[in-house]
Amino acid sequence: MSDAQSPTDFDPVEPNTGEDFEPVDVFPDSNDFDLRPGADSCFKCSVCDTNCPVAEVDDDFPGPKFQGPEQWRLKQTDDDYEIDDSVMSCSNCMRCDNACPSGVPLSQMHNTARGEYVENQMSKTDLEYWRNRILSNYRLSASIASKVPRLATWGMNFGPARWLMEKTMGVTKERDFPEFATQTFREWWAERGGADASRRNAQQRREELGLDRDADKKVAYFHGCYSNYNTVDVAKAMVRVYEHYGYEVVAPEQKCSGTPMFANGMLKDARRHAEVNVSSMSDLVDQGYDAIASCTSCSMALRQEYPELFDIDGIEKVSSNTFEAVEYLRIHEDVKEDVQEAQVSGELAEEFAYHAPCHARNQGLERQSVELFRDLEGAGIEDVGESCSGISGTYGWKEEKYAKSMDIGEEMFEHMEHAEGEVGMTECPTCAMQMEHGTGYEIRHPLELLEAAIVE
Amino acid sequence: MGQTPHIAVIGGGSTGIGIARDLAMRGLDVTLVEQGNLTHGTTGRMHGLLHSGGRYAVSDQASATECIEENRVLRDIASHCVEMTGGLFVKRPEDDEEYFQKKLEGCKECGIPAEVISGEEARAMEPHLAKDVDKAISVPDGAIDPFRLVVANAASAEEHGARIETHSKVTDLIIENDEVVGLEVEHASGEGKRIHGKEGGTEEIRADYVVNATGAWAGRIGDMAGVDIAVRPSKGVMTIMNIRQVDTVINRCRPKGDADIVVPHETTAILGTTDEEVEDPEDYPEEGWEVDMMIDTLKELVPMLEEARTIRSFWGVRPLYEPPDVGSDDPTDITRDYFLLDHDERDDLQGMTSIVGGKFTTYRMMGEEISDHVCAKFGIDAECRTADEPLPGSEDFSVLRDYMDEFGLRSPIGRRSVERLGSRADDVLKTSDPNPTVCHCEGVTRAEVQDAIEQSGSDLNAVRIRTRASMGNCQGGFCCSRLASELHGEYDETIAREAWDELLQERWKGQRHALWGEQLSQAALNYALHSTTQNRDNDPADGEPVDFAAFDSGVSAGEASGTADVAADGGTRNGN
Ligand SMILES: Cc1cc2nc3c(=O)[nH]c(=O)nc-3n(C[C@H](O)[C@H](O)[C@H](O)COP(=O)(O)OP(=O)(O)OC[C@H]3O[C@@H](n4cnc5c(N)ncnc54)[C@H](O)[C@@H]3O)c2cc1C
Ligand code: SF4
Ligand code: SF4
Repeated sequence: MSDAQSPTDFDPVEPNTGEDFEPVDVFPDSNDFDLRPGADSCFKCSVCDTNCPVAEVDDDFPGPKFQGPEQWRLKQTDDDYEIDDSVMSCSNCMRCDNACPSGVPLSQMHNTARGEYVENQMSKTDLEYWRNRILSNYRLSASIASKVPRLATWGMNFGPARWLMEKTMGVTKERDFPEFATQTFREWWAERGGADASRRNAQQRREELGLDRDADKKVAYFHGCYSNYNTVDVAKAMVRVYEHYGYEVVAPEQKCSGTPMFANGMLKDARRHAEVNVSSMSDLVDQGYDAIASCTSCSMALRQEYPELFDIDGIEKVSSNTFEAVEYLRIHEDVKEDVQEAQVSGELAEEFAYHAPCHARNQGLERQSVELFRDLEGAGIEDVGESCSGISGTYGWKEEKYAKSMDIGEEMFEHMEHAEGEVGMTECPTCAMQMEHGTGYEIRHPLELLEAAIVE
Repeated sequence: MGQTPHIAVIGGGSTGIGIARDLAMRGLDVTLVEQGNLTHGTTGRMHGLLHSGGRYAVSDQASATECIEENRVLRDIASHCVEMTGGLFVKRPEDDEEYFQKKLEGCKECGIPAEVISGEEARAMEPHLAKDVDKAISVPDGAIDPFRLVVANAASAEEHGARIETHSKVTDLIIENDEVVGLEVEHASGEGKRIHGKEGGTEEIRADYVVNATGAWAGRIGDMAGVDIAVRPSKGVMTIMNIRQVDTVINRCRPKGDADIVVPHETTAILGTTDEEVEDPEDYPEEGWEVDMMIDTLKELVPMLEEARTIRSFWGVRPLYEPPDVGSDDPTDITRDYFLLDHDERDDLQGMTSIVGGKFTTYRMMGEEISDHVCAKFGIDAECRTADEPLPGSEDFSVLRDYMDEFGLRSPIGRRSVERLGSRADDVLKTSDPNPTVCHCEGVTRAEVQDAIEQSGSDLNAVRIRTRASMGNCQGGFCCSRLASELHGEYDETIAREAWDELLQERWKGQRHALWGEQLSQAALNYALHSTTQNRDNDPADGEPVDFAAFDSGVSAGEASGTADVAADGGTRNGN
């Protein structure tokens, strides 16, 4: 047969790292993206599969390589090409994203596929749909519950009610619903005097620090639902720590970040919420604010998922100006030094078993707490390893996923037990639930420890 | 004539196989011989366009009219080989408006449904089209899988009693008293299914009539009988993209030119092509610049092609023919029509007709015409049924099934499998045995691979063309070994190794022309994988058969207690 005369006289191009991969918006104003081109970067190495915590415990789950590049490549844009229902078993931990050496936009593919699946293939009269919808619209339930927090906490964990919820809705009765705070963060914030009070505090603090009283230090706090309704102390700690460094904080109008909605394929709901968040955050970014989240999944959503999934005015701007709370301080302030000189006593003088949430890992933040606190006098911190906690937001709340969620968490539980401390620490509220559920430990947030260490 | 005449057909491309099916369905005795696999020639190296005729609507209206007729027939009888994607003739601002109008007129004259759409409408259909495309003509172009079509024709011919011999080369014609009376054939591995390592042998096949359907090779068969058939082989390059950038056939609307069409094909899109006369249909240069030109020119229509991943490139040779008195200089001017050369009328040689030229799209029509011609020779008055009777696989079927419930397959895999198998899906995929996915890129399961092995023996390239296994983005890097293992049981190790090597070689051939960017990374990974897990960079243990039983049986209970002198591990254990 014929042969190549000269093997190649091509200009070698830079290998595709996936960075400049831009999906096309197939139809303006819809969420239909053609993600087939994303499959170009995949060379089938299966590293994503070996990093998937769900594939590890669930033999029926075909894994991220199938969910992502393979399914998209086999799919076609016409409507009767269905999405495989296994995409609903992906917990959206996004570990595969990080694992892929070739920049395949895996979680974007999963999220988009899941959105399509829910939109086109899931029966809207199905209980599973409503269960998922209710779970993912946690903000709505929480806002109702927080009107009568004690009753809600009791009622939601009331045995017969839980039995009924499992039977009818498929919400596992194994877990305790989180406690609702008697005063939400926003109620506290308003009572405290809102942004004006924060500005005054910040100005006073700047003077103490010898800074310009009107220095341009301002952040917009994306507290998310959980620290508003449940772990209010985390949100308060955030405000106090930031004011301590002379930042004025605003708490703009906001809705759910969308994290639980992505994981449940409720992209329309997520988009509605994202529009509100992007609009209020982008105005503030224009005025010189940076967006700060204390939950690593919220910062992940604003940074990565929003621009990957939606085309909303200002989205890129918000994305590139969003930071996680501790990360931001580590960039702009000498927190490390301050912590080294500090000392904690009292309630938080503990040894902490620290778990890095998957979404923190995706943002490169998995070591920040350990690095920050390891020289803190009076407290200790130990990383309990790389494994996934297994709850992945709403995933572990589903009756049919509960056992898998606990299987995934097993390694983390073990490592926590082996760690010296008896108190856990993590940035993610649902990881915290899982850690508490699996070990019975109390779980704290790094911001709380930071507050105890440096804010007097 | 009392007895059923025996017809020998040379060439297992679309033309030959179409003739064999037609004649067999008319009740004649047929033997078809092909030197390689089915589709070994041009048929396996074409673009996969089911022509609407639009491409020829200005320059060659006779061909255009035949195309639209056959386009309609094939949608019907070969539905599991055809995807009706629709096609567009796209006009860029710099393209000639007058030609656009001529194209539109031409389509109407030839009965090709054609409609003008605006640039926006075109982009709404195909979002990756260039932003500055003016407008387009939409026509009923489609995509067709040549392998599947030829295999289905062969199966149907066999059902009607034909004998199909692959890997059987005609080395000479038997001529007695100025009449061709048979073929001398060399079987690479004996008669019947191809089995690696099986002794070949020669055979004399006597026939009452011979049809030469060897396309670009037709002249060589002519030489064996001392008749001159001036086929002018013309090569064309095609470049396969990893994914479908378009779901519609995209043609550039201008008179003629290279690199003016993108055809969506299964999971991929194929760019083409060129037209350049070559001397030898088996030996011509394949050059890098040809591939570059495909991408550079077609990115004017679909800009994202510039950055997109290419998985391989291949070349095919058109069996163009023009009557000796025409004398075109440029191969693009040679008609795409086909010619039936009765050597009795032409060269006073009885017993043989050659068919040359034509297109894949019109293969059935060519088969019908030559079958009429052959039947007339024997005074047989049998009706042609190939336009009405669906091919095996194309009988009534729907691709919309509950893949998980019915076949236990994940939806995109089930969907692709059913699309490939058509009405045979139930027979092939319903199995109580475990049915893992063997080729992940294309979603091919064990059941489908086993079905193909049953049809074609140990020939993994034949399995490939039947299933698409190893035709995806890793180009067989991950599945060739698994495909070879599927031979286990029926075939022994030496055979499996030979088939495996051959498949790897074939896969490598086309990838050589795509070694940059992602496909280079892929090749590097494949290399690393094959050398570390199969020792392919060093000593792939393919000499003496390995005594696997020695591994499998393990250490027996008696030996396990061990004595000092069976110290394969260095011998410290016993002495401690
Ligand atoms: C680049 C390119 C793109 C094309 N694209 C399209 C398209 O999109 N749509 C379309 O309709 N048409 C297309 N065509 C045209 C089409 O592919 C051919 O017209 C058609 O496939 C020819 O089929 P065939 O059976 O006549 O020839 P072949 O497929 O070449 O078959 C001849 C067979 O004879 C065998 N043979 C030769 N010598 C011997 C021997 N001594 N003994 C035994 N066997 C022998 C060969 O191995 C070969 O398999 C394209 C052609 C080219 C080159
Ligand atoms: S997001 Fe997590 S669970 Fe989902 S496929 Fe990726 S690694 Fe697996
Ligand atoms: S890790 Fe990335 S390149 Fe490897 S198989 Fe998974 S998606 Fe493909």
